[in-house]
Amino acid sequence: MDPKITEVSQAFERFKAAFVRNDFDKCSELLSQLKVLLTKFKSLPPLFEETPNAIHELTLARDIYEHAVVLSVKIEDLDAFERDFFQLKPYYTDACGRLPQSPQEYLILGLNLLRLLVQNRIAEFHTELELLSAIALENPCIKHAVELEQSFMEGAYNRVLSARKTLPHETYDYFMDLLAKTVRDEIAGCNEKAYDSLSVNDAQQILLFSSDQELVEYIKVEHPEWEIKNGFVYFKQARESEPCKEIPSLQLINQTLSYARELERIV
Amino acid sequence: MTQDIEMKEQQPALSNSLSTTAPSTFQNLKEIAALIEVGAYAREVRRIVRAIRWTIQLRRKLKASVLSAFLNHVLVPGSELQSRLYSHLPKEDEQDMELDTATSATQAPAKHPLPELEVYCCLLVLIFLIDQKRYSEAKACSSASIARLKNLNRRTVDVLASRIYFYYSLSYELTGDLAEIRGNLLALHRTATLRHDELGQETLLNLLLRNYLCYNLYDQAEKLRSKAPRFEAHSNQQFCRYLFYLGKIRTIQLEYTDAKESLLQAARKAPDAALGFRVICNKWAVIVRLLLGEIPERTIFMQKGMEKALRPYFELTNAVRVGDLELFKKVADKFSNTFSSDRTDNLIVRLRHNVIRTGLRNISISYSRISLADVAKKLRLDSPNPIADAESIVAKAIRDGAIDATLDHANGWMVSKETGDIYSTNEPQVAFNSRIAFCLNMHNDAVRALRFPPNSDKEKESAEKRRERQQQEQELAKHIAEDDDDDF
Repeated sequence: MDPKITEVSQAFERFKAAFVRNDFDKCSELLSQLKVLLTKFKSLPPLFEETPNAIHELTLARDIYEHAVVLSVKIEDLDAFERDFFQLKPYYTDACGRLPQSPQEYLILGLNLLRLLVQNRIAEFHTELELLSAIALENPCIKHAVELEQSFMEGAYNRVLSARKTLPHETYDYFMDLLAKTVRDEIAGCNEKAYDSLSVNDAQQILLFSSDQELVEYIKVEHPEWEIKNGFVYFKQARESEPCKEIPSLQLINQTLSYARELERIV
Repeated sequence: MTQDIEMKEQQPALSNSLSTTAPSTFQNLKEIAALIEVGAYAREVRRIVRAIRWTIQLRRKLKASVLSAFLNHVLVPGSELQSRLYSHLPKEDEQDMELDTATSATQAPAKHPLPELEVYCCLLVLIFLIDQKRYSEAKACSSASIARLKNLNRRTVDVLASRIYFYYSLSYELTGDLAEIRGNLLALHRTATLRHDELGQETLLNLLLRNYLCYNLYDQAEKLRSKAPRFEAHSNQQFCRYLFYLGKIRTIQLEYTDAKESLLQAARKAPDAALGFRVICNKWAVIVRLLLGEIPERTIFMQKGMEKALRPYFELTNAVRVGDLELFKKVADKFSNTFSSDRTDNLIVRLRHNVIRTGLRNISISYSRISLADVAKKLRLDSPNPIADAESIVAKAIRDGAIDATLDHANGWMVSKETGDIYSTNEPQVAFNSRIAFCLNMHNDAVRALRFPPNSDKEKESAEKRRERQQQEQELAKHIAEDDDDDF
């Protein structure tokens, strides 16, 4: 066996051992070593050279990056997640003809979808979604993320939160926590516009707090403009499309002048 | 997708019915060759464009015998290119061919043929092979032609080259190996950019976008599109395609307003013959408009030759218009095959949200006060906790400005607000302005799109006249300068 592969495999074994022990510092350290070692393999993207050990090397590298993605979730580092995921992606898209499908593939793709959702990068979410086949869309991990996005867009927020109970994998937990936070902000934004006032109890329920104290705390930090009075939360109504009392004269003059100029050009 | 494919579909039927007259086709080809020659010597790209247009008209009449006679006529017999192209032609009508060879051998030019003519022959054989559905040979032929093109750097070849690129990609697409040539296309695009071959860039950019979109690689497509150099379109067809791909990318990335604009423009600009292209543009445009919350007019679905193809989308529109989730689901299931072959199924999933919105808007208009339980029932939300769902959905709709209402949590009501007098706001003024701006833009675009032939009569202008004109111009300039002085 190629000594380089042996070296990488050994390091990877140590990495996995540390991973099982939840020794994440050690993991990160080993991971950076592994990534450096991987650069010596010519069969990996972007070169994709046909070497005798290509399949072995590709599989090994894919395994390493998959672990890297999961690790980044565990140490709650979204930037690292994005980096590792993009390194992993070519193995799924460009090497799919040569490697057997990874059992982790859908799990990781689902995680990525969830990440995009949490970061509110909906356009990228849909771009990724287009890449998935009909079979992939049926997979529980992917389906979970897709349904979440739909409920999110509709505004059925409690459905988003109840989806927590049906997590396809433990790593999804972290993102669901983040999502809960996003959802709460969304709900707060909606309530502000939709209600004149809410009783403190109702507000606490709708905003998914377990005690009044938390609610009061949240309002103080996030929405200091809300008012709590006699057991009710009053949202300030600073909107309404006021009937215009003043004619926006400057704008009108500008527009009329530009019409005149354009007309003159035509005639 | 485009008129080229359309033509191909009709082709087998027509080639049988048309009694092809070999001599006249051969004669035509010779005339085209002459046209190209003139164009090449005079460096007039226009003539070559005309030659290609003429060729496409002849396309259905192309036969192996005619082609081989033409190759013999134009190319040096026994040269590498000639024998290579020759090998692609079927030898079925041996006799006929020998006759032609015999006659043309005498008149074959001894000189080395122009590169334009060589490329033209490649193109001709390539078109012939694709029409005969011999795709693997077409692939070989086109790859060889592309290799040859790399060494040619003449502006007059560009037009022919761009057609070869197109058929190159088409032949790979027809065999389903589009991914293979992506690297080549990128390299060609780079070369075209370096040579300032704008037509080639335009064609290759479209081919690349098509290549990416074929594999749903929207991210890469958008990155390439946004970074590739843009310039004024040279060919209307290429511009239509570009707009269509752009519209698709923007739809996927949720930029619906821009997407709608590009898709509608693509549908409008496409030539009448390109029915398939216009149909697919309309399909996407309908979905985008639905996603924007607009309801497309009925006339869109009644366009000539499109009724049948647009039928699923018509029913979908109807479901969205009514705001009925049940009906929407039924339509989506009924036509799921059509939608997935159009690759719009993911977009249809996005529409669910719009169906709810429209339903909600209808409710909000009809009732001044309605309980949330009834809202849930009317929207037919099938969830374990419909009232809470309805409440948050309504709340979001209010925040997004889809409906104008307030919620009363204690009583579980939704109270619609009286619609105010819109004419007391600036709204009409804004709408008026956007319409005028649209008309003015349209006019300016039309003026800019006008093409004038190179001014041939100005060259004849005598020296005296020129002097006179220059003098006038100077006087005018002086006047303007004086006017400016007066102003300030």
